Amino acid sequence: MPTVDIDPDELRDLTGHDEKSDDELQEALFGLGLEFEGRTEDGAFELEFAPDRLDRLSVEGVARSMRYQYGDARGVHVPSPNSPEWTIEVDDSVPDERPYVTGAVVRNVDLDEEALESLIQLQEKLHATMGRKRAKGAIGIHDLTMLKGRDARSASENESGDEPRGSAATEGTPTIQYVGVEPDGDRFVPLDSDREMTPADVLEDHQTGRTYADLVSEYERYPAIYDDLGLFSFPPVINGRRTEVSTESRDLFVEMTGTDQWTIDKMLTIVCYALSARGATLEEVRVEYPDHEIVRPDLSTKTKTVAHDRIETILGIGLDPDDVIDLAERSGLEAEKEESEDGDLVYEVTIPPYRVDVLHPLDVIDDLGRAYGFNDLEPRYPDVGTVGGRHERSRLERAVREQLVGLGFEDLLNFHMISEEENYDRLEVSPGDDIYGAGEPATIKEPYSEDFTMLRTWVMPSLLMVLERNTHRSYPQNLAEIGFAAAVDESEPTGVAEGRRVGAVLAHHEAGYEDAKARLQALARNFDVDLETPPTDHPTFISGRTAAVVIDGDDVGVIGEVHPKVLIEHDLEVPVSAFEFDLEALR
Amino acid sequence: MQLPSQQVAVLEAARADEATSVDALAAATDLPPETVTGALFELETEGLVAVSERVDETVALTDEGRDYVTEGLPEVRLYEAALEAGADADPVSMGQVIGASGLEGGAVDIALSNYARKGYGAIDSGEITADPDADPDADAEANALAALADADDAPVDSVDVDSETLESLERRGLLDRHESTVREATLTERAVTELMAGIETAETVGQVTPELLTSGEWETVEFAEYNVEADAEQFDGGNVHILRQTAERVKDTLVGMGFQEMDGPHVDADFWINDCLFMPQDHPARTHWDRFALENPTHIDALPADLVDRVERAHKEGVGPDGEGYHSPWDEDFARALALRGHTTSLSTRYLSGEEVGELEPPQRYFSVEKVYRNDTLDPTHLLEFFQIEGWVMAEDLSVRDLMGTFEEFYSQFGIEDIQFKPHYNPYTEPSFELFGTHPTTGELVEIGNSGIFREEMLEPLGVDCDVMAWGLALERLLMLMYGFEDIRDIHGTLCDLELLRNTEVTY
Repeated sequence: MPTVDIDPDELRDLTGHDEKSDDELQEALFGLGLEFEGRTEDGAFELEFAPDRLDRLSVEGVARSMRYQYGDARGVHVPSPNSPEWTIEVDDSVPDERPYVTGAVVRNVDLDEEALESLIQLQEKLHATMGRKRAKGAIGIHDLTMLKGRDARSASENESGDEPRGSAATEGTPTIQYVGVEPDGDRFVPLDSDREMTPADVLEDHQTGRTYADLVSEYERYPAIYDDLGLFSFPPVINGRRTEVSTESRDLFVEMTGTDQWTIDKMLTIVCYALSARGATLEEVRVEYPDHEIVRPDLSTKTKTVAHDRIETILGIGLDPDDVIDLAERSGLEAEKEESEDGDLVYEVTIPPYRVDVLHPLDVIDDLGRAYGFNDLEPRYPDVGTVGGRHERSRLERAVREQLVGLGFEDLLNFHMISEEENYDRLEVSPGDDIYGAGEPATIKEPYSEDFTMLRTWVMPSLLMVLERNTHRSYPQNLAEIGFAAAVDESEPTGVAEGRRVGAVLAHHEAGYEDAKARLQALARNFDVDLETPPTDHPTFISGRTAAVVIDGDDVGVIGEVHPKVLIEHDLEVPVSAFEFDLEALR
Repeated sequence: MQLPSQQVAVLEAARADEATSVDALAAATDLPPETVTGALFELETEGLVAVSERVDETVALTDEGRDYVTEGLPEVRLYEAALEAGADADPVSMGQVIGASGLEGGAVDIALSNYARKGYGAIDSGEITADPDADPDADAEANALAALADADDAPVDSVDVDSETLESLERRGLLDRHESTVREATLTERAVTELMAGIETAETVGQVTPELLTSGEWETVEFAEYNVEADAEQFDGGNVHILRQTAERVKDTLVGMGFQEMDGPHVDADFWINDCLFMPQDHPARTHWDRFALENPTHIDALPADLVDRVERAHKEGVGPDGEGYHSPWDEDFARALALRGHTTSLSTRYLSGEEVGELEPPQRYFSVEKVYRNDTLDPTHLLEFFQIEGWVMAEDLSVRDLMGTFEEFYSQFGIEDIQFKPHYNPYTEPSFELFGTHPTTGELVEIGNSGIFREEMLEPLGVDCDVMAWGLALERLLMLMYGFEDIRDIHGTLCDLELLRNTEVTY
């Protein structure tokens, strides 16, 4: 689960509750679903968060939620931004893969060290969550005073002229341009560097560039943002050093690019709310696409119609409409009583723009429940009558397991994942051999380690591995497992035939074929099936002491004395006799 | 006084004035020496005999020694051949003498190295001389060999050979010495008194035999006493694996609560594992490294087309008049990709959709206790494969109170009380709760599960138009809570310790 670091002093400051102790804060945070995991080196709380409330990825958002929880704030609060001065012009050359951009200007920010750190963390956490590691949305924050916006008209003149991009004079509305550029075109000095590089250089030579190279390396043209002075941002990879934000910065330009307009708009809203909470003034930005224009940030609210009846059923309690309205306001929502077309009591619930998790009226009910306190609800056993029962396969498995234990076997439970070497090589078997246990492997794309690269095709390898690891334990070691095995089978819908196998090994100084056969016969008798053991050849077992297990006429397994080659391979110094067959055969 | 017959026989064969060895007693009583020894110890405990031990040394010729008894010592043979060749007068070529002596191989070296030592003559520059005064008949070693020829493990005191010669024979590898412990018994005064008073023979038996029972003899015999307090040898019968026992107990509990068991594929399409759960396709958990995608085969053949359409619509547009979808791409090919299921909720989606057992009408309860797979870091509490307890209830108008009540009932069956519910987020449930339980012994708050009410965006495409509440939790966590295991790898998997499995307390 992801974590967010919150400085408790900042939290006290932003909530206006200097009197709260660390313990009290932690308790209130737990109520919000933010679990205290420990402290960072600087003494900040490390909080684990569920990835729905992405408006709580920094101290500002957490403080806002706590103010609602403490009752200091109620209802929906939307900041009013000033009218746009700046424009982002989207050029035709922008890569098709990353067509969207959004932005806002934020003025009069008081950025001390803590605030700057918080802003950086918010960016990182948004990148990791909504931004899908910058693939879906990437944030760039710039010092506005370092930007030199030019007029859009002169920019288009410039396109056709010989002058390098970005050198035109400013007049009219200050404008920056979102464009697509040649990988080896213009140069800029990226953050954490002191030399000019082309975007292609950045992907190769800059540490951050290498990290995010995969996001754009397939693009024909790379995304870039220009002002009068030239390229200053290479989204989603890195910003230029010229516009780097510091504690001295007072006015900021926030831009975001991505593959989905809604996603970057919401990320922008969350950043704007966080800066606004620190007393900054928001200012809109005009985004001019080739065929349409939008104004951002989008701080519009939305509404959901929630039925009173549904609230009562989900929470399992009766509520007055006034209670519902109160719960909504304490959740940072606003509810208005209305009557539906069918004459039922419903609420028009207003959702603030920073909420990204409210997809359905049910999500509002969850908020109301949290405000009410889910733990204050009295549990009750549901008055629903049903009849229970086991799956037939599971009943059969239990019955066979009990018989095996009665026959003196220690019941084992091994992993379903195994390596090719263990499954085949060490038992002298090759994948695809026409013998029991040698099916084609269903393989794992990115295995945890070379020990777990496929699903085992039989359980015998696991049993021999347990014998190998327990040679220091007393004998006899009679082990059995009713376990899962699988192999590629094109006739199955999933392409994999799955089944349970009954495997058993007898390891002691006098273990022989007859010991295994005697137990197999006992099982056959118990389950009233007809058992035959015609001789067969199987490389795991000694020739002449190996038989097929034929149950009710079907060849379903193998029985024999394990070949000395296999025993030596497993460091065993006692004879082992064994059998394995399909559990289904006893059905 | 009454004693078992064997003890009486030994007592009668022993003497008060002289120690008698076990072998002698065995010969006299016609009992095996082990039996005599056993009887002596019993008698000693009774104070009837004094048992003493001494270490006896015996000697016997080696095979080489025996050969020399018949052939003569090599150095003597060399001397005799040298005399024949006239070496008592003048030196004779050594080759000639050796050839005449008939010595071969290693025997030549043995002859040469002992010849001068024992004063039979001298060897110099390849020539040999013989001392005419030497007397082979007085050779102590040769005489000793002759004396020992018939002695087989004879007590060293009983042979007529001096210790110096014995040592030199041993050094030459012609003689072996053996040490053995000899026990001897002497009657005590008490035994003499008791014998004079008369000792009766008591009939005791060890084993109850068929003959004893059918003959009726059992009525008169006395059964030998056993040391009933002694530990017997360890016996390892079979046990059901402890995690299986716990799973069975969970299954029994859920069946008792009215749940039916589900079963289904471990390798399944992402569609059933994630898409049907309203998990957006770009959700980190789906692209995340903790998923085990299959390399071969890669995709499921077929998915129910109607359902695919409905699921896709729910992802893109949401459900209901006020619903919203995800702002994420959706691709059927992505949904058809095969993986090892990361949760058994894939079974729930299969059952809820009607794919497994046909359309379900409320009310229904279903469960499974089956393996799931996650590419997590292996450590004492995390395995790549573990058991998930999946369960759901389908009914009209379920509330979070019903969910909480079901949990309280279930967990109380395992001694876990005071369940706490922490509001949580899952893409497929709302409201959602993480469950915490108080550890019965440590008092620690432990996360035991995850639960919630399935979202309408999940249920509507599956064709379910009532409420479904559901949960999943790790069986291993329950087991560790109940038993206090510290490293789950000791019991689950091929690194398991048989001794631990053999000795684990059973659960019921």
